[in-house]
Amino acid sequence: MKARAMTYQRTVRHVVIALASALLLVWTVFPFVWILLTSLKSPADILSVPPTFTFTPTIDNYAALVVGEQRGQYSSTRPDFPRFFLNSIMISIGAVALSVAAGIPAAYALARFNFPGKNSLAFVLLSFRFVPFIAFVIPLYILYQRLGLYNTHAGLILAYQLITLPFTVWMLRSFFMEIPLEIQEAAKIDGCSWLGVLGRVILPLSAPGIAVTVILGFMFCWNAFNYPLMLAGRQTFPVTVGAIQFISYEQVLWGQMAAATIVAAVPQLLLSLMVQKYIVRGLTMGAVK
Amino acid sequence: MSKQWRRHWRRGTFLPYLLLAPAVVLLAGMVYPFGLGVYYSLTSYWLQYPNRFRFVWFDNYVDLLEEPLFVRALEFTLGFTLVAVVLQVGLGLAVALFLHARIPGRAAIRALMLMPLMIPPVITALMWKIMMASTNAGILNYALSFLGLGPINWFGSTQGAIVSVLIIDTWGNLPFVALILLGGLQALPTEPYEAARVDGAGPIAMLRYVTLPLLSPFIVLAVTFRAMDSLRIFDVIYATTTGGPNDATTNLQIMAYQYSFQWYQMGKGMAQAIVLLLLVVIVSYLLMRLWNRASESAQ
Repeated sequence: MKARAMTYQRTVRHVVIALASALLLVWTVFPFVWILLTSLKSPADILSVPPTFTFTPTIDNYAALVVGEQRGQYSSTRPDFPRFFLNSIMISIGAVALSVAAGIPAAYALARFNFPGKNSLAFVLLSFRFVPFIAFVIPLYILYQRLGLYNTHAGLILAYQLITLPFTVWMLRSFFMEIPLEIQEAAKIDGCSWLGVLGRVILPLSAPGIAVTVILGFMFCWNAFNYPLMLAGRQTFPVTVGAIQFISYEQVLWGQMAAATIVAAVPQLLLSLMVQKYIVRGLTMGAVK
Repeated sequence: MSKQWRRHWRRGTFLPYLLLAPAVVLLAGMVYPFGLGVYYSLTSYWLQYPNRFRFVWFDNYVDLLEEPLFVRALEFTLGFTLVAVVLQVGLGLAVALFLHARIPGRAAIRALMLMPLMIPPVITALMWKIMMASTNAGILNYALSFLGLGPINWFGSTQGAIVSVLIIDTWGNLPFVALILLGGLQALPTEPYEAARVDGAGPIAMLRYVTLPLLSPFIVLAVTFRAMDSLRIFDVIYATTTGGPNDATTNLQIMAYQYSFQWYQMGKGMAQAIVLLLLVVIVSYLLMRLWNRASESAQ
């Protein structure tokens, strides 16, 4: 009798766990599935009531995204999506390169030297993680208009430093600090200068950490929406701003918007596979390892 | 170069500052405009009427107190943050505890949960905008119809818009909270659990008296990050409701955006941005104190 109650309890437990797992999976994955399906639908299928799971897939939405032309009943707002994609890549790579170049010496100084003002400087850098962008973007907009940086890749790369530079310095610092001091001291005894320690000890040993920082920094740039929304124009829009161009006052091009969200999300999903273990660390600027 | 300076140079006293210089210069170049912005917040600055530019001291700030939209935006900013944080940290804790209990397929679920976390928030918003689309063809309303609910006018009604933004933000950020707390759970020591088991504690008592106190630094950390991000949520609101309907989802950041980039009143917009910045500073200060207490008590 008791044994039967036990198995009954265990079955209930298994069912509850299975249901909860299924719920969690559907909640997490279904939006992706649905958007992928939507991106393969014709306008008539998208607007069908009730929503349909069975339809003849079409690549017209993706084609419209690439060539931006009128195809039958498809009207496109010509958002130049390939250019936006290229803009995203250029701006993100530029911003990360600049941040890493300036961030490596800075992180080295914060990780390995003691000097007055060190902690407050590190704290100021961290506080950039929490700043409301609007407080920076209004004056930047005015300044960029005057300096001719508005709607330029260089201007966006500079503005993105507000996102990537504090992040890069904090991440690199946390990776540099993981290298045992003894190795550094041994190198110094062998006659290495600070440059030698950085170039022959710190950088080679933290190469994986630098790679993680670069990839995550690139992803944060790719995600950026609000700075380019104000500081970029049609020639320099990244994919995030490009994707909302499918909404106009007259209509929303649902199919093309779905295709655009897939295209904008895929690089992120692929890159996140490479840095899975470090994503939480990156999002908290090294606070949680 | 005097002798003293040369000695400093040899000892490398300046070296760290030299190493920091490029980064500091870059950031200073970005912060300098902010100083300019503080000045603009004290002026009447209309972008399309440059000749109206004049210094007005704190008029922009005083005007805010009489602006009904500001009071509503402030209320929404704080209210949204409170609800979003409680909801996301509560659900995140549940998910973390669930995943911690060695359920089958945990690694796969954990990996899949990174997907919403790493795609651009504005893309998240557009995905949900499609699912919450027209009241008839939207997949979400269709699903709700099986439960005998709806159709819900997601973005068209005041409450619907607020709930929609909340759902979308939660979908994107629940994994963040869950993963932080899961990491915390996995790092907890085992001795307190054994001691509690010896004392005959049940699962609920275990959670209440062992897990939660030990986990509290991680909970406060998750609360901090979520609160700071919710106070200045922009992408999701901009891409779905743009603050509407009837300004129901207008928070301080959306309001400052509208003032400065739709009505080109840069001075007023900047004053609102600075109020939001001060709010962020105050909340972060309070949370930091909470964090110090939590990490002390967890020791």
